[in-house]
Amino acid sequence: MATRKQGVTPIRSFGAKTTRRGFLGAATAAGVAASSGLTIFSRTAHAAGRMRVLCWPGYEEKPVIEEFEQKNDCKVEFKTYIGGEQMLQFFAQSPKGTFDAIISDAEYVQKLTAQKALDPLKPADFPNLADYHPKYRDFAPLRAPDSKMWAVPTRFSFYGLSYNTKYMTEEEAKTWNSLFLPKYKGKVALFDWYLPNMSNASLAVMPNNQTPYDISDGDLAKVKAWLFKLRPQISVFSEQNQGLVNALINEDAWVTPTGDMEITLIGAGHKNFASTVPDEGSIRWSEAAALCADSRNKELALKWIEYMSGARVQSELVYTKGFKARAPNMKVTKFWNEEQTKLMSYVPDPKNPGKMLVETLIDKSVPRGLPVKQPDKAWIAIYNEFKTSKG
Amino acid sequence: MVASLASGALPGAVPEAGSGKVTSPMKVLGIGLPLLYSAAFFVAPLAFLIMLGFWLVEDFQVVPAFSLENYLDIAQHMFAKSNYALAIAQSLWVSLSTAFLAVLVCYPMVLAIVYLAPLSRHRLLLMLAVAPFWSSYVLRLFSWQILLANKGIINSGLAWAGLESFQVSLIYTQSATRIGLIHYLAPILIVILYVTVANIDRDLIQAARDLGATRWQAFRRVILPMSRTGLLVSASFAAIVSFGDVLAGALLGGGAGKSVLGSVPLFSNMIMSEYASSTNLPRTSALAMILVLVMILMLAAGAALADRNKIDAG
Repeated sequence: MATRKQGVTPIRSFGAKTTRRGFLGAATAAGVAASSGLTIFSRTAHAAGRMRVLCWPGYEEKPVIEEFEQKNDCKVEFKTYIGGEQMLQFFAQSPKGTFDAIISDAEYVQKLTAQKALDPLKPADFPNLADYHPKYRDFAPLRAPDSKMWAVPTRFSFYGLSYNTKYMTEEEAKTWNSLFLPKYKGKVALFDWYLPNMSNASLAVMPNNQTPYDISDGDLAKVKAWLFKLRPQISVFSEQNQGLVNALINEDAWVTPTGDMEITLIGAGHKNFASTVPDEGSIRWSEAAALCADSRNKELALKWIEYMSGARVQSELVYTKGFKARAPNMKVTKFWNEEQTKLMSYVPDPKNPGKMLVETLIDKSVPRGLPVKQPDKAWIAIYNEFKTSKG
Repeated sequence: MVASLASGALPGAVPEAGSGKVTSPMKVLGIGLPLLYSAAFFVAPLAFLIMLGFWLVEDFQVVPAFSLENYLDIAQHMFAKSNYALAIAQSLWVSLSTAFLAVLVCYPMVLAIVYLAPLSRHRLLLMLAVAPFWSSYVLRLFSWQILLANKGIINSGLAWAGLESFQVSLIYTQSATRIGLIHYLAPILIVILYVTVANIDRDLIQAARDLGATRWQAFRRVILPMSRTGLLVSASFAAIVSFGDVLAGALLGGGAGKSVLGSVPLFSNMIMSEYASSTNLPRTSALAMILVLVMILMLAAGAALADRNKIDAG
């Protein structure tokens, strides 16, 4: 049986053969890497029985990866990122073959395929897909631009309304426009990222639009007006979930257009929180595991992707310290107790017989995307203007 | 400015120039090491930041270039759309007022240590004043969050004491940002001011008192003018650090805390937010260069004021 250390060759000494050009090149690379937060992996560490994954936080946590490492007698190295753009930069700035697999937001898979960074996958290699929710079994954003399957969904959740039930009623939470009620002035907390906020605004302006990112300049102006109207209601912009959680616990904010908050809060003993997707719809984020075209350990990487599609690992993945989320594999409930199943909304929806609550939420939400008719910069500028507009 | 303070504080401590051999290994080492340190940890990163501001991002890769595109784009957004000028104004207002308040808080503390406490207790009192510096800055900010929250310890305490009508609403305002910054800066300012005040010649104060000056007059005519350089150094330091700080504005100011200028984010918070959204390192570097430029201007203003003070005193 191979051991973890097998195949690791000694690191070449930085001695007489090092040229000035080589040194300057290495120094520049180190400078760029350091400034961009990029981890430089040792080339010699890339041996058999090892693989590297570029991912959002959570995948590296012990309960998620331990079983895979033990079963395959291997070591998985993780480089975590926050945000799809950061993922693309980390990937583009790393030497070819640095990563074997990537966890990507669904909308960024298309950007990776455009760079020929991924290998297509065969659905037949992933029998767990049969247990997936129908919308994730054959998830359209992972198929574009052709009909090939480029990644396997691993977790998702909603940018709906998370609210304090002491102040917001279930009825009020049914519409985004409740955020304009006078009682919510200075009581709305916002996750500080233009993409979900502007697309939720897009849905509020054009309810149930299945393509809230593919809008005309005229509709974008309406989105901007909606956001500006919301500005006086906002008390806090936070780049971290923790900031939003603190604001909700301390009652400095009563509501946030960021879903999932209640999972953390109820889990911490604060029972007076709930979340929902308003009737106009909300954005749903989805992550998926993809195989790097330049991987030097494709066999192991494929095994890892198959592993990540399993119900057991997804039941842990949606409960990580990094993120709370939902699992596309509907068999996750086998690994949860009754309380967890209810908290995660994998219980029958009384208003939609035959459906689970989480399925209703999936139906009401649309996958997160990227601006189509305008450059990203134009959307970011509107978001900045919204932030600097005097609240 | 700092050099003048140091030489003023420790007269005669610097050995005479030219007293040793020019090529003495110790002298070379003594000069070379700080130069090397500055080159490695100040000049090189700054040069890299300047260079990066002219580079571009193409297909998510940073491409070396000499382009003014980032700066031109930022200029277009200075007074419209992203409104960077407003964020810079908010940062200036918060940092300058923080500097003023921080000095106002720390100076009396230093006067009390130097003139009211026995000399044998100075070290202990300074240690106590500097003690907060030993704990994590982020931890301190989270503590303030718990204290200042609308349902936090302060308001709960007031309510418990039957003072519900005196509830304070500070969290997610720039006042809360200032509180966090002052707590962060105070230990450093106290040390800077202590060096200044402790080195004021006590004979001068005694002479003023012998000539009939009241305590207040002795303070106003002797101690305060002789503290002015230290006050300016510490205020400049506080303003510069506050201008570049991100955490207090994010955790206590709520990302766009309210002030007299409105609920506008600090420029540093805006840079962070832009980087998180776009991950465009060259554009972020160009924005950071503007931040550095404003800091240099603040430093220059502080130095000019200190020089004018020296001339006035002279």
